[in-house]
Amino acid sequence: MNISTDPWIWLAAILTICIFSFLYRDNFFYRLAEHLFVGLSAGYLIALTWHNQIYPNLFSPLFREGNLMYLIPLTFALCYFSRFIPKFSFLIRLPIAFVLGWGSGVAIPAVFQRDILKQIQGTILVGEAFSRWDTGLGAIIVMIGVLCTLIYFFFSQERKGILKPISNIGIIFIMLGFGASFGYTVMARISLLIGRFQFLLGQLLGLIK
Amino acid sequence: MKIFGLFLKIPRQVVFLTIAIAVALPLIIPLGMPVNIMPQSKKLFDAIDDLNENSEAVLISCDFDPQSMPELYPMLVAMLNHCFSKKIKVILLALWPQGTGMVEMAIDDLASKYNIKSGEEYAFLGYKFGVAAVLLGMGENIKDVFPVDYYGTPIDSLTIMHDLRNYKDLSYVISLSAGDPGYRAWLLYAQARYGAKLGVGVTAVSAADVYPYVETGQVIGLLSGMKGASEYETMVSRAGYSTGDLKATQGMDAQSLGHLIIMIFIILGNTGYFFARRKK
Repeated sequence: MNISTDPWIWLAAILTICIFSFLYRDNFFYRLAEHLFVGLSAGYLIALTWHNQIYPNLFSPLFREGNLMYLIPLTFALCYFSRFIPKFSFLIRLPIAFVLGWGSGVAIPAVFQRDILKQIQGTILVGEAFSRWDTGLGAIIVMIGVLCTLIYFFFSQERKGILKPISNIGIIFIMLGFGASFGYTVMARISLLIGRFQFLLGQLLGLIK
Repeated sequence: MKIFGLFLKIPRQVVFLTIAIAVALPLIIPLGMPVNIMPQSKKLFDAIDDLNENSEAVLISCDFDPQSMPELYPMLVAMLNHCFSKKIKVILLALWPQGTGMVEMAIDDLASKYNIKSGEEYAFLGYKFGVAAVLLGMGENIKDVFPVDYYGTPIDSLTIMHDLRNYKDLSYVISLSAGDPGYRAWLLYAQARYGAKLGVGVTAVSAADVYPYVETGQVIGLLSGMKGASEYETMVSRAGYSTGDLKATQGMDAQSLGHLIIMIFIILGNTGYFFARRKK
């Protein structure tokens, strides 16, 4: 056992234990650590926004270098604050319209490529997939899974006749997806716990070799 | 049958305490369970392992913060160990503001070990706000988006950046992602639009969402959570490269035991529920 003498390690350890104390029940120490975290995060983010965004991208070019072109983004940015003045609140639409228009224009073709075209290509059965029996079987299962799941979400037709068993198979695939996601979520949460224990048992108490 | 009724009345504090003990014990007394390598992790390792010192640089984007450190930081360290051992050039950046701290920590740990210098073996571009503009801009010219590196050095003065213009001049882009912005943004702007070869390391929560992209080849390889990190550490170690602390591998015994306890509690809870319902 090699207990740390670093005060910062002790501070981090005490705050970690304060947060863990919520597992017993809500208490003052948990709320203290929680409020400290929220306050620090907000302060850090404000400082970061100023130093990384506002100063280098607006303040410095406009006020130090005198580049008047930057008055345009400044005006747009100030329009966001117009919602606090009811008479001029309509001005907020300008920057929102710009951001939405630009964002949609840039994202829509790329999303189509990423999530639709490529995924359809990946679902189509091609000869290459059958070069090995296991990849061929996998390709068939993916194809069946996609079709059955899509039919499950086809709401324009009542689920009876052939549609009923197909959509039931769809439910199985959806449940498998949910199960995988849940399993991974448990794994993620245990990983975070391990991370804290590695800190407490390793860096603080020196129990991990 | 009374015992089954008790399963439904286990206090949550008992559940938490049992899991805490199950996780803590293997960290102090390791069980040495084997680490099996998943094919998608192997693909990513092989992709980087095929590179050499004359290859184009690998870009690693640290899109995570300290909250995801147990899962993603070991991936970053293992990857840097792999690249620096093979003298592969590395460009680092962060789409999350706190990601810069993660990179600094990793570089501080490894700088003396490999005698690496900023601008020669690696470049750290830092964090830039506005993910879409940043990633699209990098597709045209990285130097326009990052005129100076994280330390304020003009990018043109860095040797590593001389022949580097955009994604075409990179071997791979690796996103270590804990959410948004992260691998989805890299897929959207760098891979779909500019054809960048993308590898991904994610927290386990997002892993199931990445598999479809691995299947279609949009993502060359995937590391999923702490398990993925331990796989990469193991592969780097088995290949004979220097690894340093195997933080993720060290946690895998605890992970397995933690899962076992959770499974036992799920079975107990369901058994109790089943018998309680039958009694009614």
